[in-house]
Amino acid sequence: MSYTSTSTTTRTHTATYLTDVVMGAIADILADLRIDLTTLYRDWDQDEHAIRAWILEGSLKEVVLECHQPGGTVAPIIEFPVAYKTSGTGDAEFTASQARLARFRAKLDRVPPGTTYRLFCTFHGPHSPQPGWSPGTRASTEGLRSINYGTLASAPDASASMRYRYR
Amino acid sequence: MRRHRDIAAAPRRSATETWQAIADLVADTLDRSPHIDRVEVEAVMATAATVGRPLVAGGHLNQHPLTLVADPMRCTIGTVSGTAALSLEENLNPIPGGAQATEFTLHLPTPDPLEAVVRAAAERSPHLSADPPADLALATRAEAGDGEVQTGLVDLAALARRKAERP
Repeated sequence: MSYTSTSTTTRTHTATYLTDVVMGAIADILADLRIDLTTLYRDWDQDEHAIRAWILEGSLKEVVLECHQPGGTVAPIIEFPVAYKTSGTGDAEFTASQARLARFRAKLDRVPPGTTYRLFCTFHGPHSPQPGWSPGTRASTEGLRSINYGTLASAPDASASMRYRYR
Repeated sequence: MRRHRDIAAAPRRSATETWQAIADLVADTLDRSPHIDRVEVEAVMATAATVGRPLVAGGHLNQHPLTLVADPMRCTIGTVSGTAALSLEENLNPIPGGAQATEFTLHLPTPDPLEAVVRAAAERSPHLSADPPADLALATRAEAGDGEVQTGLVDLAALARRKAERP
């Protein structure tokens, strides 16, 4: 009984923590690229709620940030894969690498004025419906180069990393 | 009188919940003043929430706290994220001194890369500022030997208070 309670609490904390770090990273990246943040700020509550719920149920595979340039180019694309740990094997700490994110931001390709963004989530399988989210099609990543930036945040039940796709 | 409060962020609270805890603390504090309308305070905090949540989620308030100036009271409000948030003992009681306040300003930090969006948000209310509190800015410039600060322009009382408050 006690074990179940502790496990649920930790999983909730893991979902809350990883959601915050990923959402915070997206806000910082968009601000750095001078992309209009109005929509992100307006939808923050529902996006935060959805991502948290999907991590909590273990269905979220990755959060994807696509930058849509006025000329039709979709780049860069930043992916935040979530890796789930077997219960009891995870580190008991909640840690985030803000320094890693800062180094990453410094190397981001600039984008032209008028660039917009789209957020996608991909899944391991069935997932719960969440308000404000509907099925969509990701842009192709063909021809884009890829760099893995390693773990962005780690929690007892899961971790989130960062992958950068660029031209 | 100068105070400081730390609020537990993720994994204990989401960014939205953390900002609401900060908003409640500010509103509860200023609600004690017969000169300040709680509804107005809540409206200001709701306006600031657009940038408040990203400031929390990005971990920026861990290093760069907000400053509530409501003379004679002033209070810096920061967040604690990660493992330490789970064991943080918070004081969410109204900040002493709020009852004597006749007006208030919430000074928002402008960390990289959110400076532009924070400044834009601060322009939406006369009770928000993206600049450091005046006496703190003067004291900092004077201490740094800024040539533009002339004798007689420095708030000597504020300097004395700062000196007295140092450990």
